[in-house]
Amino acid sequence: MSSLEIRGIQKSFSSTQVLKGIDISIDSGDFLVLVGPSGCGKSTLLNMIAGLDSITAGDIVIDGDVVNEVRPSQRDIAMVFQSYALYPNMSVAKNISFGLEMRKVPKDERNQRVASVAQMLQIEPLLDRKPSQLSGGQRQRVAMGRALVRDPKIFLFDEPLSNLDAKLRVDMRTEIKKLHQRVGNTIVYVTHDQVEAMTLATKIAVMKDGELQQLGSPDEVYNNPNNLFVASFMGSPSMNLLESRIIQQDGAPVVPVSLKSGEEIFLPLPQSPAYRKYLNKPVIIGLRPEAITDPGSAEQESSLLYSSSCQIDMIEPTGAELYAIMELNKQEVVSRMRASCGVQSGQTAEVIFNMEYAVLFDPETELRIS
Amino acid sequence: MTDTLQANGVSSARFWRVALYTTLIVFAVFYLLPLYVMLTTSFKSLAEIRQGNMLALPADWTIEPWLQAWGKACVGLTCEGINSYFWNSIKMVVPAVVITTVLGALNGYVLTKWRFTGHKWVFALMLFGCFIPFQIVLIPMSQVLGKLGIAGDTAGLVLVHTAYGIGFSTLFFRNYYEAFPSELVKAAMIDGAGFFGIFWRILLPSSGPIIVVTVIWLFTNIWNDFLFGASFAAGEGAPMTVALNNLVNSSTGVKEYNVHMAAAIIAALPTLLVYIVAGRYFVRGLMAGSVKG
Ligand SMILES: Nc1ncnc2c1ncn2[C@@H]1O[C@H](COP(=O)(O)OP(=O)(O)OP(=O)(O)O)[C@@H](O)[C@H]1O
Ligand SMILES: [Mg+2]
Repeated sequence: MSSLEIRGIQKSFSSTQVLKGIDISIDSGDFLVLVGPSGCGKSTLLNMIAGLDSITAGDIVIDGDVVNEVRPSQRDIAMVFQSYALYPNMSVAKNISFGLEMRKVPKDERNQRVASVAQMLQIEPLLDRKPSQLSGGQRQRVAMGRALVRDPKIFLFDEPLSNLDAKLRVDMRTEIKKLHQRVGNTIVYVTHDQVEAMTLATKIAVMKDGELQQLGSPDEVYNNPNNLFVASFMGSPSMNLLESRIIQQDGAPVVPVSLKSGEEIFLPLPQSPAYRKYLNKPVIIGLRPEAITDPGSAEQESSLLYSSSCQIDMIEPTGAELYAIMELNKQEVVSRMRASCGVQSGQTAEVIFNMEYAVLFDPETELRIS
Repeated sequence: MTDTLQANGVSSARFWRVALYTTLIVFAVFYLLPLYVMLTTSFKSLAEIRQGNMLALPADWTIEPWLQAWGKACVGLTCEGINSYFWNSIKMVVPAVVITTVLGALNGYVLTKWRFTGHKWVFALMLFGCFIPFQIVLIPMSQVLGKLGIAGDTAGLVLVHTAYGIGFSTLFFRNYYEAFPSELVKAAMIDGAGFFGIFWRILLPSSGPIIVVTVIWLFTNIWNDFLFGASFAAGEGAPMTVALNNLVNSSTGVKEYNVHMAAAIIAALPTLLVYIVAGRYFVRGLMAGSVKG
């Protein structure tokens, strides 16, 4: 069907280089999510896929054809903009059918397709209104409708949910996911909300300063981050990162970590040949909050559980679970526990470290050690 | 203590308000007085004017001076009133305003949404064109018009005014379209609309206020222009302003003040009308772009 390949794409605005050679390749039907901090070049990349921005170097390939010189309207893509970009002077129905009209689709067919899209998105009662008379969520749906009605090869979404309130965001997220499962088109989706990225994507591309940091499935990006940036960017609350070193204890590699009481504990590491090179050398150890838990929620089948009693400095209940904050290596560490586990701030509690999920990074290169 | 202070505050505020309004009213009267004199004079007979009571209302209202001004008064050598010159002005102002507005809108569109290298320079030069004094171009312009064979013709005036107005109309539209979201243009590109399609279907329908501003500005300036009219279109083809001058300056016979006043008001009427009809958009349009939201 419709695959998309981004080959060594670079973009410069006068003297500043905004994209420094991006390589991404996805299959048809993939849901690619581009994430990264503000200003890292996500929108720029999307605009280049759409053909709205010129390409400084590299190729955009759709279905095996280089489309660098193909006009936006000929690329068979549809885009949903962050601001929705609904035409203010046209009714909702006109907005949706404008693209069809420009493509000289007969009027009857246009009306029919608008009607079916309106039904799918439940905006039938709004068809005669002007965009200014719609709420944010309704505008968002109209913007989606404008893209959907064309049934393009590739959908491009630029932060379509960022203007919505929290509840609506979650609803629309589900809607988009359902939509993707139903229509099965290829989608490229920009966001800097990593929850959106995790829930929607079949592939995530993490970007920073115009460079691709990692491309992989949500699971890979979350559990096997390539480097420190990806590790700290993905996940909320973010991964705990502690400076330590690897030492040998009873023939097995461990990392020493000091508790608030001053006592030193030795967290076991999985056997990996890579760790041997870092013996007695500084490393950064990354532990997700869910890898530090109360005994009740620990994964009992894990082979690398380490138990210790730690002082809990503060708890943050979220309803479903609670985040207990403690101090390791004189640094704040967040752990994720059951809401009912009964820990209290200011008291000591038994804490389980699941070291199977620990990831190590080289402090110099910031790359993953594996 | 505080009570008296407050009372002082209130009364002094009232004093300033009264002073302010008095000043404003005095100025308003001062500025309206000539119009009042013109209006009353234009409805008086010559005999009544000679009695000299300038500020009095007409004793006998008469529209004879207006009819004379329109159809019979002598301008130069012909005595057919000013109506043909009035139409001359219309024939000059309408095409000039339409062409200049359309070109300005297109320029603004290109300078904001289809930028090319050097677009800043083009715009800077256009702005520069706004500030060239009329007198400087008189001689070169007359040569150009002569070469084109439209000297002394309404078409020549249309060309001159278009050339002069285009800087301003470009400025207006460029600033307005600068604030127009580029994402709308991008969306339309993806939807398959071309250069003119986007202009016609997306930008123009949202340009109401700035079109009004440009039209008022151009209309007023072109209609009121005297210098170009006097230089490039003498005689039969002269615009209203030149004809009015010739009428008033006719040295033969008695000065028919009532006719002159009527003619002057007729000459001013179109700009007044344009401003009354579209004036409230004028302020709104001038504000657009400078203040967001
Ligand atoms: N037309 C332009 N001229 C010069 N620099 C630009 C232009 N457009 C974007 N940039 C720069 O390119 C960089 C990337 O911009 P881009 O809009 O792609 O960021 P983004 O990742 O989409 O950010 P956000 O998450 O805030 O939307 C930014 O530093 C921005 O300042
Ligand atoms: Mg962006």
